[in-house]
Amino acid sequence: MSTFIANASHGSRGTRVISLGGYLDAHTASDLEQMIERTIGDGCVRIIVDFSDLEYISSAGLGVFMVFIEQVRSASGDIKLAAMKPKVFTVFDLLGFPVLFEIYPTVEDAVGRFPEPSEA
Amino acid sequence: MIHNRHDIADIIIPATTDHLGEVRRFISDRMRTCGCNEFEEHGVILAVDEACSNLMLHAYQNDPSKSIALRIDISDTGIDVRIMDTARPFDPSSTTLPNMTSYFEERRSGGLGILIMSRVMDEISYRTTDNGMNELLLRKKRRP
Repeated sequence: MSTFIANASHGSRGTRVISLGGYLDAHTASDLEQMIERTIGDGCVRIIVDFSDLEYISSAGLGVFMVFIEQVRSASGDIKLAAMKPKVFTVFDLLGFPVLFEIYPTVEDAVGRFPEPSEA
Repeated sequence: MIHNRHDIADIIIPATTDHLGEVRRFISDRMRTCGCNEFEEHGVILAVDEACSNLMLHAYQNDPSKSIALRIDISDTGIDVRIMDTARPFDPSSTTLPNMTSYFEERRSGGLGILIMSRVMDEISYRTTDNGMNELLLRKKRRP
């Protein structure tokens, strides 16, 4: 069994924070894909992914973010990534993902990079 | 430090992605027993996970009646993981690796497993065994 947890909550500045825990691999990536799909379906394109409790990620997990990034950016939104453990960041870094995705030390830092909704 | 010894262990798992955690635990347990460091351990786990994921999803379509055999051989000079299956022959070491600049420009997704394997391991090789199985060897050297 691969244990994986994903919870979505409302953040400030009109963001949705998706908090991940456990192991994100080829078995569990579809759970995250469905959650991001629902979030966008709800009309939210300001997505922050909180990696605080994520222990492990493989390329299947990275692939989920590639699936949606164009869609949210073309709607003036973004998927910002935050609070990765070093082992998880290593996998993103290994493939050059920081070129395409903004990665912040904390969720608060990531939220602060979105303008206030009235300014958007 | 290990001197002049090999630690060899085997496992056979069903070819479905719900067994990836078992694969990772198997590799982790053996490497910790042999005193491998966390950096070595994470790289090997990642490469083996990617190889097994590809087999489960693409070669076996998550068919629980199929299985994958793994052998890990740890010595003081290196870590060898052999992954054996009976699916259609496929040599991952002969594929063209994606160019990440165009990968990002074209917003592609998927197809990064073999690139990860090649970046974290020192050698990837494929052969067909005498009894007709596919055998993928993933090797990581150990620095003294």
